[in-house]
Amino acid sequence: MGWRAAALLLPGFVGIAVFVIGPALVSAFVAGTDKALTGPRLHWVGTANARTAFDDPDLGNAVVNTLVYCLLTVTPAVVLGLALALAVERATRGRSLLRFALFLPVSANIVAMAVVFSYIFDPSPDGLANTIVGAFGVAPVDWLGDTSTALPVVALVGGWRLTSLVFIVYLAGLTAIPRSVYEAADVDGIRGLARLRHITLPLLAPTTVFLGVFVTILTVQTFETVAVLTKGGPLNSSTTIIYYMYQVGFTGSFRIGYASMIALLLLAATVALGAVGALLGRRFRRLRTAAA
Amino acid sequence: MSADTDAAQLFPGGGAAGGGQAGGDGRAPGGGAGGADGGGGVRRRHAARPGGPSSRRRRPGPGAVARLALLTVGVVAALLPFLWMLRTALGPSQTALDLSSNPLPSSVGFGSFRRAWQDADLGAALATGVGVSLAILALQLATAIPAAYAFACLRFRGRTAAFAVVLATLLVPSQITSVPNYVTISALGLADTRLGLVLPFMTHAGMIFMLRQYMTTIPASVLDAARMDGLGTWRTLRSVVVPLAAPAIATVSVFSFLLSYNEYLWPLLVARSPGIATPPLALARLVTDSSSIIPDFAELAAAALVISLPSLAVFIVAQRRLATGIAGTGAGA
Repeated sequence: MGWRAAALLLPGFVGIAVFVIGPALVSAFVAGTDKALTGPRLHWVGTANARTAFDDPDLGNAVVNTLVYCLLTVTPAVVLGLALALAVERATRGRSLLRFALFLPVSANIVAMAVVFSYIFDPSPDGLANTIVGAFGVAPVDWLGDTSTALPVVALVGGWRLTSLVFIVYLAGLTAIPRSVYEAADVDGIRGLARLRHITLPLLAPTTVFLGVFVTILTVQTFETVAVLTKGGPLNSSTTIIYYMYQVGFTGSFRIGYASMIALLLLAATVALGAVGALLGRRFRRLRTAAA
Repeated sequence: MSADTDAAQLFPGGGAAGGGQAGGDGRAPGGGAGGADGGGGVRRRHAARPGGPSSRRRRPGPGAVARLALLTVGVVAALLPFLWMLRTALGPSQTALDLSSNPLPSSVGFGSFRRAWQDADLGAALATGVGVSLAILALQLATAIPAAYAFACLRFRGRTAAFAVVLATLLVPSQITSVPNYVTISALGLADTRLGLVLPFMTHAGMIFMLRQYMTTIPASVLDAARMDGLGTWRTLRSVVVPLAAPAIATVSVFSFLLSYNEYLWPLLVARSPGIATPPLALARLVTDSSSIIPDFAELAAAALVISLPSLAVFIVAQRRLATGIAGTGAGA
């Protein structure tokens, strides 16, 4: 049966080899060179790019920004997404309408939404955001033009969309919990918050681990929101790692070697995160299988 | 719309894959909604009310009030940007100098749409975006369905290792492959072509993974029966596995379309000439072009609304299936 399997797998593996694995290996090689657009030659520079990376204050700034961005988006998105999924699951009426509304952000085109948010957060006193905070007596804010608010506003846009994604996945996780578990709990008199704490949340633990890893990886790679809303500014206050990589590799002097090294280091961090998630996930899945 | 009606839509005719699994060996969590809801008719009656019949629902307690408040805030926050986009697009043209945040525009018209359509060449962009996304979808299904089938239903040497390779590629961010892919596509002479926008996405490891997860829930007895009936590998795939996996195929197709249609970085690198700009790119260029003069927010909102329409349409058609579909493909467990 080997050749049949090979024939079935071939088209998929050609695509993966040519457009994912090959390029990843090429990137790993290029990361060790000084490849740039200017000058046709490329030289092997060994770990020079890595050393540059660790000494690059701009990259350090981008890493800090990315971590802040993750903290500001992932945590609220997971908490809110879970709360909304639980509330929708318990809703007795209008469930499909609720779900429709809460699904919308994730299907939206992120560039289109970034454009909409950019004029919602217009610095003029008559912008929507300034009108709203103005109602509470706050002076107009230059949301995207101020170093202290640019990153949080970009994070708000990312978090808005992410919450919707988390909601979908949690809702799916909730539907997958067998009703018999709840019925048994009901018989034992476990209800309300106790049920949430001792039954629903533990059973959702694999979903939470999956989401935590998946959503963090997704968030670390944030590009569109930054590109449309702030272009990394003002004064690099909202430059994320991927946006910085794009600036290094695809603008200015096109330092593709260094950009590849940045991507490679990010990949290493991502793989480490994914491995931790896989280990945690396996543990929780065992627990859950035992419980169910 | 309750969970059980969804399950009924997903598994017409009793739900072969989901029902079979729920009635079978009880591999509960990975099987997902198909197993939980599509299964026993006895359990189904309780599905709409998780707590079962009880008296505490009669008057709203503090929990119900908190839920209502949360849902209200959530729905308003989710819809507000869309409503604002609609309001701005339908209203009169406005710049940063004469911005209005009055919830109702002073006048309503479609002038902004006409200007956006012309300035950003949205007709061509929409055609490119939808065409490219559908071509990607076709290629991804053609490559992922056979691979998922092989991983789920066939036994062969090196299966675990090959599957591990597929999974590992999920971790490679598209940004790391974008530089070499750009070089490859340029070398093939496909830079600045629609084919160049399509090819790098011809296979999606995530799609192989999700379909494989779903196909593993097809009972071995069904595959055995197919073999007994003399169906070969190909016929089994075509007339047994694909029909049974249809709900999962529909779900991954929706995700694939949304992802491709909304892709921004790759078209930004490849589609240099305006003629083949994808919708997000056309919009971003309209923003950049108009920032040299005073941008008209109404026109930008109209363009944003127009380019959102295809993905919204796909989403509205498919949204009922999405939640249950995700559970069925294993991501939710």
